[in-house]
Order: sequence, then C-alpha cells, then structure tokens
Amino acid sequence: MEALGPLEVSVMEILWSHGDSNVHDVTQKLDRPLAYTTVMTTLDRLYKKGLLQRRKAERAFFYSPRWSRAEWEQKRAGEFVKGFLEAPETSSELLVSYLVDAVGRYDEALLDELERKIRLKRRELRRKA
Amino acid sequence: MTLPYLLRLVCLCFACFFLLHLAIGAAVSLLVPAVLRRAGRMRPRQATHVLLAVRLFPPVFSGLVVLALCAPSYLLLEPAATNEEVGWACLAAALLCVASVGLSAYRGWNAARRSAGYVRYCQMVGRQERLPGENAPVWVIEGSAPFLVLAGILRPRLIISRPVVNALPSGQLAAALLHEQAHRLSRDNFKRLLLLLAPDLFPAWRGFVRLEKAWNRFTEWAADDDAVAGDSQRSISLASALVRVARMGACPQTAPLVTSLLADNQDLAERVERLLRETPEAKAAERRPLAGLIGGLASLAALALLTTQPETLSAVHRLLEQLTR
Repeated sequence: MEALGPLEVSVMEILWSHGDSNVHDVTQKLDRPLAYTTVMTTLDRLYKKGLLQRRKAERAFFYSPRWSRAEWEQKRAGEFVKGFLEAPETSSELLVSYLVDAVGRYDEALLDELERKIRLKRRELRRKA
Repeated sequence: MTLPYLLRLVCLCFACFFLLHLAIGAAVSLLVPAVLRRAGRMRPRQATHVLLAVRLFPPVFSGLVVLALCAPSYLLLEPAATNEEVGWACLAAALLCVASVGLSAYRGWNAARRSAGYVRYCQMVGRQERLPGENAPVWVIEGSAPFLVLAGILRPRLIISRPVVNALPSGQLAAALLHEQAHRLSRDNFKRLLLLLAPDLFPAWRGFVRLEKAWNRFTEWAADDDAVAGDSQRSISLASALVRVARMGACPQTAPLVTSLLADNQDLAERVERLLRETPEAKAAERRPLAGLIGGLASLAALALLTTQPETLSAVHRLLEQLTR
C-alpha cells in the first residue's frame, strides 16, 4: 500500500467524516484554498490507489472511501510492520529514520500537479510574449 | 523607603500586569477570528504588521499601564510607613506573572542562543560565495540536506546548502535568494523573537498559536511578493524553485529563529498557486499602516494625559488597595 501525502490524508479525512462527496464538496471543506483541478487530481489518484470508490451522477463523480478509517489504519499498520520485519536490516535506527523521512516528505502527487501548472503558466507567458 | 514597601510594589506591579494582560489577552483572543478574516483581505505585508501589532498589544499595553499608572500611584500615594500585607490572591497573580514572563523570556533567550549557535556552526563548516542575484556573499554548506535559510537576528545571514545551489538554475536561485532577502529587509527573525518573548496568558499555555501561525504564513507570502516585485517571469522562477527544493526532500529542522525557503510544507501548494495566479506587486506599492500608527500614538498620548491627572492616580491607588487585600 502506497504512503499518502498531507493533501491526500486531508482529502481522506474529509471523505471519512462526510461520506459521498464530489470534487466541489471536497474543495469547499479543505482548510486551505486549493484549485479545483488539484483536488480532482488528488481524488483520481486516491481512486487509482484503490482507496476510494466512485460513481457517476449528474455528470460528476462522487467519491467515497473503500474502507473505514479503522480498517484502513489496521491494513496500513499491518503492511508496514510486515515489511519492516521481513527487511534484512531490522534495526531500530532504520525504523526511526524511515519514520522521520516519511513525516518530512512532500506529497509527490501534489508536486507533480504543481509542476504541471508551472509549465502551463510558462507556456501561457511565452505565447503572450 | 523600606524593603517590604518595595517588595509590595514589585508584587503589585506583577499582579496588575498579569490581570490586565489576562483580560486584554482574552478579549484579543475572542477577536482573533475576525482579525484573521480582515487580514485575509489585506496585502500580505500589511497583514503581517496588523497581526504582529495585535499579538504584541496585550503585553505592551499592560506593561505601559503598570509603568505609567500603577507604579506612580503606589509611589506617590502609598504611605511608606504602612504595615499592610499582600493578600494571597495578589501573591498568586504575581507568581503566575513571574512564571509566565519568565517562561517566555527563557523561550526567547533559548531560541536566540540556538540561532546564534547555528550561525556559528554554519560559519565554521561553510564558506562564503557570491551567487547570482545576491550582492552580499552567501554562506554555502556542503552536505546532502537541501536548505536555504536566513539565520541570525540582528545581522541575519543567508545560508544555503550545496545541493540547492547545484539543483537550481540561476533564475530560480536568484528568485529564492530574493525571497530570503525580503525576510532580511523586513527583520522577520527579530519579529519572531518578539513573538517568542511575548508572554502567554497563563504560564506554558500558548493562547495565540493561531494568530502566530497566520503571521508566519503571511510573512512567507509577503516575502514572495517582495521577491517577485510584479515580475511574472520571476514569479514562475520562484514557484519552480519552491517545487524543486520541495522535491529534494524535507528541510531539516534547524533553529526556531531561522527562516527557511520552505517554512511550512502545508503551505507549499498555496504559495505556488498564489504565485501563478497573481503576479504580486512590488513593495513600493505597499502603504504604511498609518491608521495603526496614529492609533498607537493616540493611545500613548491618552495614557500620558491620564498619568498627569491626580484623580486618575488616586482611583488607581484605590483599585490597588482592593487588589492587595
């Protein structure tokens, strides 16, 4: 199971507390203003990771979590510990360094999305020039 | 003037400061949501001035009232020969004040010490180099951790790690350095120290965290605006630099009075989208918060006028008598 970035976690939190929501609903409930497309990409990525299920209604996708928060956390913790125990170097330093690294890491999906927007903006400026 | 007389004065001053600070601070805490909404509609630089003023208002105003009213009324109207004792409530308030002020002073001193240590360490292991877009030499540190920070309070220095220098093209590096320069010009590290020194409402209870977080966010936005100065190309360069440095990994936690290019990883998306959405204008277009300055001067003048009135001092003295019991 892939690790989730800060934005993906925020989106999952919203879906766990509010249930079935579309992109607009999630964007409204985020604690910081983010572009519609950023939220849409994040939801799509979570769907592709298998964390969400979706249905189409009124020409929009409605997303809901595939697992409850408890189920997801249990699954994640189990996989993490299993992977750790199976690794050749089972030292406590390795575990701690992994945790520190995971906490500080940026959401790769978000960075991809931001880079895409920068490219678009650069292209737009070049066209204007 | 005897020792018990002076000890009573000190105790009363601390107790008055604590009670005033608690009352004003509580009122300010209630106003914080409205202040944040208002700040959201201002330019970031102006918002930082307003939020800093709101955060510092309770301790500064309480301190002024104690110095201008409580201490003079006691010294002028309290007979030196009196054998009055200080009540438990007054003593408790004074002790809480000492704890609160002491803790914040320790916090500030500790942060300043760690920051100075960090600068010394960087100067020891790094070397000064000239980089594009920066007139003054920059301290470059070899190593794998990616960071670009402004460290130091009175004479802040730009410190950058070699991986960042190597990874950023010259335009992006210049934009990132301009961002840190903006922090230096607005003395953000010194303001951070003031925030750390501002006492809490109760000892070890941070009552203004939301306000301080918002100040941090607006400070970053204001530095972005100053760095970009209305230039859309530079705006894109800064946005690219932010994403590129973020992709290099997390910036290691350094010291509390060190400003980093990526100060808050939660704010990254918002900063980049802001830079792409609007090309922030130059600093020259900013207006000084004149209303705030006039308001502050008017308050000081009113306080000075009150101090010269004998009726005011005797009324304050009566209140102090109540507090002492």
